[in-house]
Amino acid sequence: MDTTFLPGILGIAVLVPLGSFAAIFTLGRWWKPVTGGYVATGAIALSGVLSLCALAIWLGHHPVGAGAHHAQGTVDRVPLSLVAWRADTDGAPHAEESGAQGVVPSAYAGDYYQLGEFGQLRLSIGYYIDALTVVMFCVVTFIAFCIHVYALGYMHEELHTVTDHEVTLADGTPLTRPGRFGCFFQYMSLFCFSMLGLVLSGNIAMVFVFWELVGICSYFLIGFYIERRSACLAANKAFIVNRVGDFGMLIGMMALWSGLGTFAFGDVDRDGNGTIEPAERGIFSLVRPAERDHALTTPDGLVWAAAQEELVRWRQAHPEATGADAQRYARAQLPGWRDGGTDGTGQRYGYGWLTLAGIGIFCGCVGKSAQFPLHVWLPDAMEGPTPVSALVHSATMVAAGVYLVGRFYAVFTAEALLVIAVTGAVTLFLAATIAITATDIKRVLAYSTVSQLGYMMLALGVGGWLAGMLHLVTHACFKSLLFLCSGSVIHAVHSNDLRVMGGLWRKMPITAITMLIGCVAIAGLGIPLVIGLSGYYSKDLILEQALSFAQENGGRWAGLFFLVAAGGAAITAFYMFRLWFLAFAGQPRDAHRHGHAHESPRVMYVPLVLLALCAVGAAWELPGSDLSVAGLLEQARPTGTAATLTGVWVPLAWPSEHVAHAASSHGTIVVPAVLVAFATAVAGLALAVAMYVTGWLQPAEVSRQFAPVYRLFWNKWWFDELYAWGFVRPVGVLARLCAACDTGWIDRCLDALARGTCRVAVFWEQLADRRLIDGPVDRAAGWTYALGLSLRRLQTGNVRQYILFLVVGVVVVFLISSLFL
Amino acid sequence: MTLLGTIDWYAWFFGLFALLASVFAAAVLLTNNIVRMAFYLTLSLGATAGLFFLAGAEFVGAMQLMIYVGGTLVLLVFGVMLTAQATFIVMRPRSGEWVAALLAGSLLLGLLIATAWGVRPWREPRPTGALALAEGQSATAVGAALTGVRVDRLGDPAAPEGPSRTYSRSGYLFPFLIVSVHLLVVLVGAAYLARPRVEQPVRAEGRSP
Amino acid sequence: MTTLVASITVSHYLAVGAVLFVTGVMCMATKRNALGVLMGIELVLNGANVNFVALGSPFLRSTTLGIDGSLIALFVIVLAAAEAAVALAIALNFYNNHITIDVDRAEDLKG
Repeated sequence: MDTTFLPGILGIAVLVPLGSFAAIFTLGRWWKPVTGGYVATGAIALSGVLSLCALAIWLGHHPVGAGAHHAQGTVDRVPLSLVAWRADTDGAPHAEESGAQGVVPSAYAGDYYQLGEFGQLRLSIGYYIDALTVVMFCVVTFIAFCIHVYALGYMHEELHTVTDHEVTLADGTPLTRPGRFGCFFQYMSLFCFSMLGLVLSGNIAMVFVFWELVGICSYFLIGFYIERRSACLAANKAFIVNRVGDFGMLIGMMALWSGLGTFAFGDVDRDGNGTIEPAERGIFSLVRPAERDHALTTPDGLVWAAAQEELVRWRQAHPEATGADAQRYARAQLPGWRDGGTDGTGQRYGYGWLTLAGIGIFCGCVGKSAQFPLHVWLPDAMEGPTPVSALVHSATMVAAGVYLVGRFYAVFTAEALLVIAVTGAVTLFLAATIAITATDIKRVLAYSTVSQLGYMMLALGVGGWLAGMLHLVTHACFKSLLFLCSGSVIHAVHSNDLRVMGGLWRKMPITAITMLIGCVAIAGLGIPLVIGLSGYYSKDLILEQALSFAQENGGRWAGLFFLVAAGGAAITAFYMFRLWFLAFAGQPRDAHRHGHAHESPRVMYVPLVLLALCAVGAAWELPGSDLSVAGLLEQARPTGTAATLTGVWVPLAWPSEHVAHAASSHGTIVVPAVLVAFATAVAGLALAVAMYVTGWLQPAEVSRQFAPVYRLFWNKWWFDELYAWGFVRPVGVLARLCAACDTGWIDRCLDALARGTCRVAVFWEQLADRRLIDGPVDRAAGWTYALGLSLRRLQTGNVRQYILFLVVGVVVVFLISSLFL
Repeated sequence: MTLLGTIDWYAWFFGLFALLASVFAAAVLLTNNIVRMAFYLTLSLGATAGLFFLAGAEFVGAMQLMIYVGGTLVLLVFGVMLTAQATFIVMRPRSGEWVAALLAGSLLLGLLIATAWGVRPWREPRPTGALALAEGQSATAVGAALTGVRVDRLGDPAAPEGPSRTYSRSGYLFPFLIVSVHLLVVLVGAAYLARPRVEQPVRAEGRSP
Repeated sequence: MTTLVASITVSHYLAVGAVLFVTGVMCMATKRNALGVLMGIELVLNGANVNFVALGSPFLRSTTLGIDGSLIALFVIVLAAAEAAVALAIALNFYNNHITIDVDRAEDLKG
């Protein structure tokens, strides 16, 4: 089949889950509840089949070349498509190839339907299809299918009337409500539709629409147990925190649109004349034009906007010049303004705007992908049913942020990449440390997700596009596996608390083995340089790129990224195996729960086995061919990003990803990185064994020894408290103030006004007196007291100890003075 | 006789007294019985007095025997007798403290001995032959110094002229007075501290029967 | 025999003083009996005294402290006597109050 069918096939694959949603929404009330589940599962299965068809077509026209991603060249092999699609009168798109004949384009872009054109603003429903799109389609549909099947078993309680023991009504009895089986699958279908639409989107406006759809679906699903207060709050939190990020994304979108005048990603030949006029060029070819060897170029519009002052100065200097003269002058000066003069030392107009646009887009991804400092919503999102957690935290919602960074990779300037790398590194470390102390099985996995997303962002930020995207795919596989396994455990013991589990592997061997596979995969264990599970490959790629970045720049700070990534690998291995050992190994800690535990039904463990196979082999090459996910993704590398990028404001260089894989750097980058990854993972595993299996180290003693650190991790670095104190409470106070004003105005009565004044006074007394004045004083007193208490321990009152201190002090002083004098 | 004549008797006696002093000091450290401790301390201090004699400080040696061995130790033995609860009461420290003390002590000992041999003038012997017994410090010189006259510095040409010369010749009269008063105060204070208290309503249970 | 024949220097005296000093310090660091601690202090003071006397001795060096060394040693002896008297008085008082001489039991002021 021809590639002309791709948009159609993928379009249908997107629409099928929407149809399922509509069907359950309208007809669901007359069906048996279980029918809705079957419809949704069937729909996502159909989408999966269509995605596989699309993959087959794609591979038919884009064979993954021998050693594709080890290509020695530093420039892209395939230039970005000059292929355009247009909507014909009959609606069937067709391809027109221009440029070099016989060159297979690496991406197809076009419009399904044009919504409207308002001056320069053109809104359309478009698509942008490259290897990344196809891979994401297959990953999302496959994982979503597994989760749907699993949910058919997991959600069976919802088939009948449910008694929710976590909700107590006013009369003290638990809540009883009708089951919401169909409703659950209705939301799941909408969720899948949103995510698939996001992946297929051909312009940022569409991305934003689906982006918000994903957000609202996650809101529905996290708040599925709407009667529980915690679930309500978690859903609100997820939604509101995401809005914070989306605000930045809107700014980025506006900056891009004002500079480029288009929302579309790729070049779209709208009038169908076979050539691409300037008005038909997409963002990617504008930012990295072929005329400049696909180097990052500040678009004319942004340069114009930023260089207005120069123009004004020129007009003042030449009062006699006409508007046409000014136009000519500006056009002549444009390249100079863009590149900072002929020698590149002057001011680069517009570069700052481009950086701002990149950071703005990244802000949205920070919210969606739960990066620091907006990571707080994700662990709370565990209030949703476990299949939702698996879906939200592996292949769909959080993946959307990383996907968008990968999609927009061509637009990011070096400075924006640095911001991404720093954010990723901080997130990775922060979340990993919190995961060490968490005792809720799903929260450990949630923080692990945050940490792994930090890995992806770090990889993207140091120039590892392939590394980040491959980790996105492999992580989707093993993280959904881990979540479904944890769901199976929770289903068996009816508790999330790791402290009441233990010794479960006898009771539920399939869950134990599949989860162990997931742990090994996420820890990146394998035989160094020979073979490993999927996580081994993607984590190695990330470490290699980080090491390559450090070697390229040499400085102490550039090496920090590698250190954080390597340290994070050790912590990852530690907390994942801690989880497994606590849940499955050792003696049962709660005999009652252990006695009632049982292996899950077949409908639940078959998806586990399927996903475990993926977690093992997702990064392997297909036996007997060169086909692998990495090779496929390499085809989708954004044009021009394979070249080395140098910062304008920061003195750093982003090495090409091919540098790390060139044969010459095998010994200097690949081998050290692989060995470091292996050593750190084994160290983490060994520590987990020493603490939770053999008992050489007592976890309780260790946590006592490092009590302050433990408290820091246990309280999640006090981020929730910080936000509550810094944002939530002031906003709450402000809202209350507004409400008070409102009632005062409605009453329009002096009395009410007086009462409002009273309330303001009380508020100020609370804020200024109690909090601003009393608060610091009380806290200072408390600190002094605590300091005194801690210093008191130094004074043991033991004479002999004092004498020893004295002697040691004398010796030390003598040694120091003899060393330095 | 010739054999005896070849022996450096000075070194021999120094070795004897040094060994006695060190061994009994170690015995003080190692025994747990307080009475034996006091006894070994007496012997160690006596041997030290011998070292003083050998070093030519006869007056200090005599005072060591009189004040220290005769006075201070008697005080200590009184203390032992007044505080003895049972015949052989044993108060051992924890083994960890022993280890720590051994470590710190060996460090300090190494440091001090390294210092003792680290200074060149200290480890070079005095040129032989020029020594006469009269050069020893007699009690007269010490006593005169305590009353403010430095007999040994009378003909010191190195001392500068003027008031500073007078100062350099001045003895230890003032410190001697201070120490005397200090001793008096201390003794009065000690007597006050150690006096038996007649009534003690609060801690009555804490008193010895 | 050669070691005994070798002439004695200041360093030898200082070594003996160091042994006495360190023994005294360890005595203080390991005894729980207050009087034992007191004896340790006496040993420490004696170690110091040996040093003073040795540095003031005319037999060991040409240039010495002279009788200053002897005088300082004398003062040390006197002060040691005074210190012993006061420390003993404190020990007796402590014993009267606590029926023990164990320094570890002196913890009334410990918060």
